[in-house]
Amino acid sequence: MDERPSSSAVAVSLCDSAPLLWRVDDLQAVRSQGLVGALLGSLPRIPRQNLRLGRPLLLLPEEEELLTERRAAAALPVYQDGEGAELRLQVKQHLEDQKRSYEEQSVLALEDRKAALLRAMTSSHTVVVLSESGDEALQSRLEALDRSFTFPSSALAVQVSTARAGLSYRPEARATLHASRPLRGQEESSCHAARYQVFRDLRGRGFYLTSAGKFGGHFLVYPGDPLRFHAHFIAVCLSLEEPVCLLDLLAVARLGSNVKKTVLLCSPGPEGRVQYTSLQWSGMV
Amino acid sequence: MSQASNRDDASPNWILQHPAYQQMKSLEIEDSAQVHAAFLVYMDLTEVRRWKAVSCAKSPELQVILLEGREKEGAPVQTVLPLPAHRSLSHQSIRQALDRGFPVLLCAVASDSTLVYQRMTDGLVTPDPPAGPFQDLGRRQHRKRRQKH
Repeated sequence: MDERPSSSAVAVSLCDSAPLLWRVDDLQAVRSQGLVGALLGSLPRIPRQNLRLGRPLLLLPEEEELLTERRAAAALPVYQDGEGAELRLQVKQHLEDQKRSYEEQSVLALEDRKAALLRAMTSSHTVVVLSESGDEALQSRLEALDRSFTFPSSALAVQVSTARAGLSYRPEARATLHASRPLRGQEESSCHAARYQVFRDLRGRGFYLTSAGKFGGHFLVYPGDPLRFHAHFIAVCLSLEEPVCLLDLLAVARLGSNVKKTVLLCSPGPEGRVQYTSLQWSGMV
Repeated sequence: MSQASNRDDASPNWILQHPAYQQMKSLEIEDSAQVHAAFLVYMDLTEVRRWKAVSCAKSPELQVILLEGREKEGAPVQTVLPLPAHRSLSHQSIRQALDRGFPVLLCAVASDSTLVYQRMTDGLVTPDPPAGPFQDLGRRQHRKRRQKH
């Protein structure tokens, strides 16, 4: 398991309180450190499904804290747009581009129609040899087309780019990515602290962890990359003194045995060591 | 036990008079519900599952009655922790039960005397892999899905 300290920090952009990663380099860097996260975005070429999702990557709070501790992540500075001036400029630019495209396309469409008309007229005139009157009729029809032709705006072809060029950093933002700046103030709560201790310990042992909301636990623990393995454990983090109802214990153990995973009770103990207890269905009917 | 309920002169306090129960009572545990639960588990282990050498012991840290016994002759000794199902338990208590050095079975006793056993082990125990033989479904899965549409 490679734990090389990353030379540059990944840039985390905060959406409300959710830590997101946008750049592919950052996603690769974070995956190489053994942090999985969860992809949230839809892919532009296959939008109507959620089996394969795209960027951004949402980090677990524990993952964000681990990156901060390793000084491998920094918050992207918030871009100040003075009263939306830049945005208005971009909108104006876009409208002008559309107008220009419309004018070009209407010229091309008119030429297309004239060519079609010409073909239709000349092909039907191969039999009848009417030189002057035929030419005049053609000319008058072409002129009528010139006058009356309008290119409907609903027929306008608009190009949508599927590869967004705008996800790289602005040059000034890149320069100010300091790894020493803390991500944001952390509110300490005992359950949060317990979860972070467990996360760090299991990650240190080489396991990959993702969130386990589907299984009623805190983390799913994989022996390797989640793309290659099924999870072995459902980790439930609690403090040593916290009382848990026996029925809840039975429920989570039964669920674990139904999905072929062991339930792991994890508690940070003295001297920073974490104590683990495995719950398994006894099979005694 | 069913015979006792048919007889008119049957003593309803047969549990209280049972020697095993009286032995547990003598260990002076305050929680009488836990003592009752321990007795039910004792009867299940000895009469139903026919465990060998089942004895009861008091755990001073947990203030409960623990049972120790062997599944079969020559099998290793296991600790059984009987608890009423509505009780709560801390991870600390579980660790204290594990500290005795024997494999631990937690037994939850419901109000209708249903018993549920659960194995608790220290450390990370990898689950059993799914049992074979495995059959490659191949295109059958996709064909089924297409038929539905």
